[in-house]
Amino acid sequence: MGFLHHTFTDRFAQRDNWLTRIDVRVKLIYVVSLLAINLWAKNVSVSLSFLFLSFAFLLTIKISPLVMVKNMALPMLFAVMMLVVKGLHEGENEWVSFSVAGYVMALKKEGLCSGLQTGGKILGGVSLVVLFALTTTISQLNAGLKWLRMPNTVLELMSFMYRYIFQLLDEVSAIWYAQRARLGHASWLKTIKSFGVLGGMLIIRAVERAERTSEAMYARGYKGGCILTCHLKPLGRNEYICFSGIVFLLPLLLYAGNIKIW
Amino acid sequence: MKILKTLIAVFFLLFIFSDKTVYAMHITEGILPTEWVITWFAVSVPFLAIGIYKVKRKKKAVHSYLPLAGMLGAAVFVFSCFPIPVVALNGMATSHPCGTGMSAILLGPFVSVLVAGIALLIQALFLAHGGLTTLGGNIFSMGILGSFSGFFAFKIAQRCGMSLFWCGFFAGVISDLFTYLGTSIELGLLVVKNGGSFFRATAEIFGVFMMTSQGVLCVVEGVVVGFIMVFVYKKRPDILQQLGIKTNAKSV
Repeated sequence: MGFLHHTFTDRFAQRDNWLTRIDVRVKLIYVVSLLAINLWAKNVSVSLSFLFLSFAFLLTIKISPLVMVKNMALPMLFAVMMLVVKGLHEGENEWVSFSVAGYVMALKKEGLCSGLQTGGKILGGVSLVVLFALTTTISQLNAGLKWLRMPNTVLELMSFMYRYIFQLLDEVSAIWYAQRARLGHASWLKTIKSFGVLGGMLIIRAVERAERTSEAMYARGYKGGCILTCHLKPLGRNEYICFSGIVFLLPLLLYAGNIKIW
Repeated sequence: MKILKTLIAVFFLLFIFSDKTVYAMHITEGILPTEWVITWFAVSVPFLAIGIYKVKRKKKAVHSYLPLAGMLGAAVFVFSCFPIPVVALNGMATSHPCGTGMSAILLGPFVSVLVAGIALLIQALFLAHGGLTTLGGNIFSMGILGSFSGFFAFKIAQRCGMSLFWCGFFAGVISDLFTYLGTSIELGLLVVKNGGSFFRATAEIFGVFMMTSQGVLCVVEGVVVGFIMVFVYKKRPDILQQLGIKTNAKSV
């Protein structure tokens, strides 16, 4: 089913390996700091090093680079487009030129450098986010966000949404196949009408499920408050070592990011 | 102006070469410079705070409100994964709806901003659509502009005595248009630093959005939202009443 291919899975985050064992608070602090460095850096090698390190880390936990590439397909397309189009439009100094169907296209040095900078930032940033997502479950993320003083309401809402996205996707998938088998997608207009029915059913089932869930939760004594399925241990020696690691890493990255290559 | 041309060319090429699914309303990680990252987060935070306050207040009054909001948020998220076929420059492409217009009708604009923010966070983390540093910008365009424009379009259409289908249609179309306008504004503002014209840049980027599959998508999403509203009204009118959506039986 087409649209389910664009959805996600947390099966990699459920595995037991050295990256999933790292405390979510440490991962959050690292990701946020490195994303800030990635945005600020004037040196593309910093962003590209984030990309290579993310790939390398995922290889150590036996996640295929293809998974990462699949996750990053769209940002990669953006990055390549940025490189090519900036190379064609920006700058004065011609680097290489070629002719396509009689139309001369010239890639300029300044444009390529600028495109590489932007593309590098896209790839570096997205790779950090993907690395974090592939090694952190939503329950761990919620616990980490709770530690960062995120309001309970947001965490509760996020837990509910994430929990039921998969169930609703399954239900929608079943209806979608049934519609297709009964020629509900025979023409463009029929497809649109079928999507209307599908969306309507989705809303009705979501409301019905919400009613049942709230009754069940009430019966189990739920009176509001944060629902965390993952509890964080007190910060230990390893976590403090990791935190101090970033104190040494940040000045280095700031220095490296400040060196202008071009 | 070179930057402007570059941005326009990027979008144009992206739409032409992407023959499968088009994702255009999310600004990807690394595109926005630091000053704009901070600005868009600052703009979005008050709306999110009011959304949190509204959910808290309703949760106290109605015990089942939080599961309802979460479930509807999940439903809107799933709705936003629908591969809607659109006839565009790149042939028969599929694009996905924003869903913020529908969530604004069902949950109200402020709660819809909060739900959109959470959906964008999940998308950024687990689908690599959008990004964490661009989350504020994406909340502004999709959450704030999309929700408020869709909500007010629905209300104005109702005041004009339109049928439920047309109210839903206008909410879907207008929320999509404003979402793309928001994204165009955010990208258009980037050229100001390089001496480009903000209005020209915004207009041209918005024009490219509309000329490609997204213009068609706005209308299609409107039709789908209209059908959804009518379907829910016919099958379970009590749901719309429960959510505080006023309907006039004669106008459906």
